[in-house]
Amino acid sequence: MKPARFAYTAPDTVEGTLDALDRFGDEAKVLSGGQSLVPMMNFRLARPEVIVDIGRVGGLDGMSAANGTLTVGARVIHARLEVPAVTTPDGRREPLGGVLGSLLPEVARFVGHLPIRVRGTFGGSIAHADPAAEWCILARTLDAEMVALRRGGERAIPAADFFETVFTTALAPEELLVAVRLPILGDDWRAGFCEFSRRAGDFAVVAGMTAVRLEPATGAIAEARVGVGGVAGVPVRLGGAEATLVGETPGAELHAAAAETAAGEVDPVGDLHGSAAYRRDLVRAMVARALAQGAGASG
Amino acid sequence: MSWVGRSIRRVEDPALLCGAGTFVGDIGGAASARFVRSPVASGLVRAVRGPAYTIADLDADEVGNIEAVLHRPDYVRLAQPLLARERVRYVGEPVAVVVGATAAEAEDLAEQVELDIEPLPAAVGLEAALAPGAPLVHPSESESNVMVAGEMATPGLAEALEGAHAIVELEITSGRQAALPLEARGSHAVTERFGGRTTLHASIQAPHMIRTVICDLLGMPEADLRVVAPDVGGAFGQKLPLAREDAVVVWLSRRLGRPVAWIEDRSENLMASWHSREQRYRLRAGFDASAHLEALQADVAANVGAWPCYPITWGVEPLMALAELPGPYTLEHYGVRSRGVASHTCPMSPYRGVSRPVITLALERLMDIAAARLGVDPVEIRRRNLQSDFPHTSPTGLRHDEGTYREAMEQAVSHVDLGAFRARQHAARAAGGPQPGIGICTFSERTGYGTPAFAARAMGVTPGYENVELSMDPSGYVTLRIGASPHGQGLETALSQIVADEVGTDPGRVRVVASDTDRTPYGWGSFASRAMVLAGGATYLAAQKLASQLGSLAAEVLEAAADDIVLADGRATVAGTSVGVEVAELARIAHHHTQRLPAGATPGLSAQAGYDPAGTFSNACHVAEVDVDPDTGGVSMRRFVVVEDAGRLINPMIADGQIRGGVAQGIANALLEEVVYDDDGNILTTSLMDYLPPTVAEIPDIEILHLETVSDATVTGAKGLGEGGTIGAPAAVLNAVNDALAHLGVELNEMPATPERVRAAVRAAAGRSPAGENDRSTQEAPVR
Repeated sequence: MKPARFAYTAPDTVEGTLDALDRFGDEAKVLSGGQSLVPMMNFRLARPEVIVDIGRVGGLDGMSAANGTLTVGARVIHARLEVPAVTTPDGRREPLGGVLGSLLPEVARFVGHLPIRVRGTFGGSIAHADPAAEWCILARTLDAEMVALRRGGERAIPAADFFETVFTTALAPEELLVAVRLPILGDDWRAGFCEFSRRAGDFAVVAGMTAVRLEPATGAIAEARVGVGGVAGVPVRLGGAEATLVGETPGAELHAAAAETAAGEVDPVGDLHGSAAYRRDLVRAMVARALAQGAGASG
Repeated sequence: MSWVGRSIRRVEDPALLCGAGTFVGDIGGAASARFVRSPVASGLVRAVRGPAYTIADLDADEVGNIEAVLHRPDYVRLAQPLLARERVRYVGEPVAVVVGATAAEAEDLAEQVELDIEPLPAAVGLEAALAPGAPLVHPSESESNVMVAGEMATPGLAEALEGAHAIVELEITSGRQAALPLEARGSHAVTERFGGRTTLHASIQAPHMIRTVICDLLGMPEADLRVVAPDVGGAFGQKLPLAREDAVVVWLSRRLGRPVAWIEDRSENLMASWHSREQRYRLRAGFDASAHLEALQADVAANVGAWPCYPITWGVEPLMALAELPGPYTLEHYGVRSRGVASHTCPMSPYRGVSRPVITLALERLMDIAAARLGVDPVEIRRRNLQSDFPHTSPTGLRHDEGTYREAMEQAVSHVDLGAFRARQHAARAAGGPQPGIGICTFSERTGYGTPAFAARAMGVTPGYENVELSMDPSGYVTLRIGASPHGQGLETALSQIVADEVGTDPGRVRVVASDTDRTPYGWGSFASRAMVLAGGATYLAAQKLASQLGSLAAEVLEAAADDIVLADGRATVAGTSVGVEVAELARIAHHHTQRLPAGATPGLSAQAGYDPAGTFSNACHVAEVDVDPDTGGVSMRRFVVVEDAGRLINPMIADGQIRGGVAQGIANALLEEVVYDDDGNILTTSLMDYLPPTVAEIPDIEILHLETVSDATVTGAKGLGEGGTIGAPAAVLNAVNDALAHLGVELNEMPATPERVRAAVRAAAGRSPAGENDRSTQEAPVR
């Protein structure tokens, strides 16, 4: 339970961080809160040669909204998403309203325990890429973009490309995740999140998130997003369930049908906390409940 | 005014709450030992390469083997080496040990050690270990994996079953559990450079017994080993047996001539400390037409792991099941076969309640199932079967002293308002969604085992009595030295209340010294819900002797008759007068003016006493309320009620704390905690992400009510209660889960009732539902 020997550096700036990542390449691992990385090092499951701690880097803990996009800095701690607020261009802080403003606290309360939520970071969770992590499911479901910097370059990686497999992302060793861009869902969206875990604060056995956009005129579903975690090496979108929803009017029967489709299109791998068959059952329950929750929020 | 019966604050707490406790890991100044453990469940050790000590080094020093013995014909005797010799028998078995300057360095060194082990087939689960042709755990010593077995039947059992109105059959299984003390195990040994005396600090429950066995193993006189249990962060039975590692640490410190410490990490604790309670019960019970349980036949099998534990042995679980299965019921005919089955898994030690949580689960599921079959209310079937004439002698010869089995149940049922609950349940069934369920559990808890109870087990050593030494110093303060070894229970506080009443002083003037073989009389330690009964009884007797000495002295000083002296509030007074003397002044006289003592009196003020009763049964009724989500199998606890009768309560707050902690562990055992191996014997639950103790969110408020049947089986009138919470809660919770889903035809008799198991039971019931009751009845014998 003691980590293998490692070197430690804590740059003050983004530039200094990028220099360190450039220099150490895949020997380096970024520490941003350390709520998953440090336990893995203590178990010696992770043995980085160099820890690059970005805890002293300024400018990575902001949240701002512009052009229908919420930008969350990589070092924003989970707890701040329980009461999400953005900084306006003139420097004021105001609560994030709307559908995303209601959804984020619903999700944040499932992330770990209070001590974890005040140390662990949003970006750290995304970069760690646990397939059952709440923020990864949210990013995948809402098609977030991950903003990655390297010395002399920046790129935005869509969620569909970002999560590659368990604990593995498209980030190159010399790249630093600095922010995540999320769509601010308009008032015509209905979103829900439902999670089943063994204990309060555990990673999900299965969690489901849904977001549907309604045609104002008809109330029918114009666009649907259904994402689940805990059934594969990455959080997945369920195209079949989404297709079941589009064009239809929300209601218990439709939700049940979409949940049934969802259960049919996942291909989970069983482990200690749930067999494949059980996880399939949970997908059905979580998707149905997330849809109901979203529909309820509209009324 | 009496101090006994008052909820005074615990003297133990301020240091612990302020982070000022001293645990083994706080001692420091020692090199770090780390054990290199077997990565395979079964194999032959061909070579160990690297910077490590092995069994060869221990053999060279003529270190002995552990021999945990039961004097029974059906018991397989083994000699267990301190490190694996030739063969490994479970994942985590210590094979070698390295010593580094720091824990991290020791871990680095351990990684350099290469174990060359030829893997062999392993027998992991109970059924696999019992199967014909199963790989044998101890092939040289035994031709099967059954290492201990017991069998008995009362005359007339077969006829009683034959003539029964209804037969109910039932299989109950319990998953493997870990006691999970907050502080894992650990030891720290320092050997004096001159004289060669060693001091061992270890996180243990029985320092004197551990000193004896380590000295036997290392061939040293006991006078050369001091064993101290400093603050111990929970134990629950896991720290009762000898840890092989502790003995190796003593050996290392003597061999290397430097302080050596081993601080077990959480993974080691989950993998290689002791486990418990992987058991299976098959019951066949006969009821008469009035739902009286007349006859019970049981087949019990316990997976006891790869080695016995010293000194309790691996007979403790199966033989306790054999003796105590009849529980609180007035059953007459009883037959049982109970076996301890070795497997290539971590060995077992007693864990809070030992077999009784599973015994109680089996009996209480039996009562609920029989009630449903016979069309009787679950409360009524218990009312008809619980003991009410005392003393009651069980079919296995256990004498139950007076208890309140029925009264506790009636009070619990009335407290929860069963009628209101059933109305809410009815509404929820119509509405769908989470389903409420309620479960009742009544049980007895055998406590205060003394020498007669342990002698019946025929162990190689017979624990039992407790001794105490009590003295008053010239300042009038009292020091109590005890052989018991409290570790968080609040025993020091409770004992000081007993002393204060007898000696007429304040508990704040009593100091308790425990857990140090240099400073305490020989005793057996704290385990088996015994310390309050045994050490409390000895303390009471010693305090009476001290009071008598003070009374004689006061009589001399006050020129009164000794019988007329009353000790209270720090004064010795002549009854009915204001004539008196401070106890502190008497203490001065007893030490500094001994010319004033009565002729022939011994200078000073001290007394000693021992206590060794046969034992006593406390009892309780637990009621659990749950919500079960049929779609996910998730169970949430809504409410938990305990009506407890543990005789006279010395400190009710401490009693409540014991009950709450025990119930929390019992709920965890019922719903969450399970040690899991794969078929090859690899352990899958080596962190707290996989072995799941509850958080505060999973445990409801626990409502506690007390009955106080003052026991004539103990001198203080107190009974033990340390294990009851854990004993009763699993059955109450499982009964509640089954009650919640009864309308779906669900029957679930496996613990823990994980969400996946609950969900599978719902699915299985739904699969049967077209055939309805006909389909269910194939699982049960017909009513005759």
